[in-house]
Amino acid sequence: MSFPTGITNINNMAPELPVQAAEDLLSTPQFNLIHSFGVDLHHAETYIGKTTRMSRFERLSTDGGQLDGSGIDPASEVPVRTDIDATMEIYAKSIVTNEQVVLFQNSKTLTKFTALLGQWLREKEDLLMRDLFSSSVSYINCTGGINGDQPSNITLNNVNNIESILLGNDARTMLTDIEAENKFGTSGVRDSFIALFNTNMTADIQNVQGVLLKKDYPSQAGLRPEDYAQISRFRFFVSSKAAKIPNISMLGRTVYTIPMYGLEAAAKIEQNNYTAVIGYRPPWVVSSVGQNSQLYAKFAIARAITNQNWISGLNVTTIQPT
Amino acid sequence: MPFTITTGGSFTSTGVGVKILLPSSADYFQTWNITQLPLAPATGVVVRAEWFGPKFGLGQTAKNDGIRWKKTNSVNAIEVDTFGTTTASDGFTYVSINPTIENQSTNPITAITNASPAVVTHTQTYSEGDILQFYGTTGMLQIAGMNFQISSVSGSGYTLTGLRAATLAAGTAGYTRRISKYLAVDPQYLYVTEITKATSAVVRTSVDPTAYYVVGMKIHFSIPYSFGMTEMDQLTGTITAMNATNYTMTVDIDSTAFSTFAFPLTTSSPTATLFATVAPAGASTRRDPNTFVETGYNFQYQAFKSGQFTPYMYLAGGAQSPAGAASDIINWQAYKFEN
Repeated sequence: MSFPTGITNINNMAPELPVQAAEDLLSTPQFNLIHSFGVDLHHAETYIGKTTRMSRFERLSTDGGQLDGSGIDPASEVPVRTDIDATMEIYAKSIVTNEQVVLFQNSKTLTKFTALLGQWLREKEDLLMRDLFSSSVSYINCTGGINGDQPSNITLNNVNNIESILLGNDARTMLTDIEAENKFGTSGVRDSFIALFNTNMTADIQNVQGVLLKKDYPSQAGLRPEDYAQISRFRFFVSSKAAKIPNISMLGRTVYTIPMYGLEAAAKIEQNNYTAVIGYRPPWVVSSVGQNSQLYAKFAIARAITNQNWISGLNVTTIQPT
Repeated sequence: MPFTITTGGSFTSTGVGVKILLPSSADYFQTWNITQLPLAPATGVVVRAEWFGPKFGLGQTAKNDGIRWKKTNSVNAIEVDTFGTTTASDGFTYVSINPTIENQSTNPITAITNASPAVVTHTQTYSEGDILQFYGTTGMLQIAGMNFQISSVSGSGYTLTGLRAATLAAGTAGYTRRISKYLAVDPQYLYVTEITKATSAVVRTSVDPTAYYVVGMKIHFSIPYSFGMTEMDQLTGTITAMNATNYTMTVDIDSTAFSTFAFPLTTSSPTATLFATVAPAGASTRRDPNTFVETGYNFQYQAFKSGQFTPYMYLAGGAQSPAGAASDIINWQAYKFEN
């Protein structure tokens, strides 16, 4: 047996443990949740069925009404009520963890996985609301863009057309104005309807005539991180999961749908006592030998377009094919 | 990675495609044609088929493909290849998103007549009542991006009942892909292809509207100026009658004095604004005490709810495909990795 001589360094004396865990976890990616915050929230009671009815009285006719002195009463009018129904549905996800994960490898998995399930709750809800917008609303193709497609890329005229439709239907704006301030490069932001768009469109949004990017708002106070820009009477919010339909344009490009709406256009209904349930099933319940435990999350949701007059939208393609 | 059978079942084939709903999703899927297994059928009859999901990485199954186990001509020997191998046949399509794109047609459209109804020349394996997304059309540019329900289907073509195309230029090329009957949420918007001028306007849609709406429901019109009948734009009417044969609905809107509805000319594409659509707008609940006719209580149709369930596995129909020929008994199993 020979004994090595020389300087002890990290080459001949490698560490017993080659890695160490950083003091904190890295961030779990989460997409922007934009499809729920502009909708009305209702609550469904328990024990009375899974369909929630939302009702609205339509306004009375303003025709006629003048009394001519003859003593003849004007014809009475029967009010019209419109009923919007939504069916409650339940969604769930679970994570089953073997005891050896905790025993040998990982600490505080319950805490970490509970956070993951909580994120899933919010993300799933957002996608369900996105699907409502993409399925049950009429969209108009953008035209007049420079990409020669049908629908074309977005232009100011297309946005203005939707504003005209919403205002013509007496829709109310969702967001209040941001008053102008004495700051270089900024200008006031009008009270606005909401528009939701996909991240693949950001380059096109920046090129729309008259766009006011978020950085040019007179104040950044209270703005949501998803807020991207103001065009005409709309505040545009962005998400990587906003709706798109691959390869269906005239030229075979991906078409993006942009829901654009005002107050009370859509609703989300939560079930009382079932809004967001996160639970834990211990090993002696999940496994006959007590080795696996389970975390689960579930929630109930119903969704509806409550007033088609107050929601519209655009189908668009991008200038650069995506 | 250990496998678990998450679900399984059996059905008797009608010779057309079948959707298997998979609440737990799937990493591996297989079918067995129990009827054909003990027989010595003609060449190419599939008796077993397999699909591999994304967890198999480079080995995952492409859309409308899979491994097929087929009998050779009139003997019991087995040949194994993929559905994409010559002679190709339709296989599996795993669908996890909406709108759901089912098996991709590899053969493009060769013609769309400007007849009423329009007839499409197209070599394909679609089934009666399928709904196709049209895109990249040449000639009949106005319909690119719309979906249509097809009828009178043969291997070389089909009819678009919902398209009266007499005023349109004939189509000379284009592409389609099959989409699910329902979008993610139901009731959904529908494409309008025709509106009559009448005391009760009759509205034709590109698909059979009775699958989505019901008499008594209100519908909201979005009619861009390029379609002529601008007076109808943003109106809401109540459906008073429906016709599943002609894909029409009658609404309580007097369109007698309205401008004529017409598709924009092909020459105006791509600048003409598209499309004319209707969207669900609730119902006014009523009950006639004399006739006992009720409207507003049809929770199957008028309530907003999930449309097409996802994920699901689409099994193409036919003797050389996973869903088999008519009367074949098909067993299926969906597997999932435990991690």
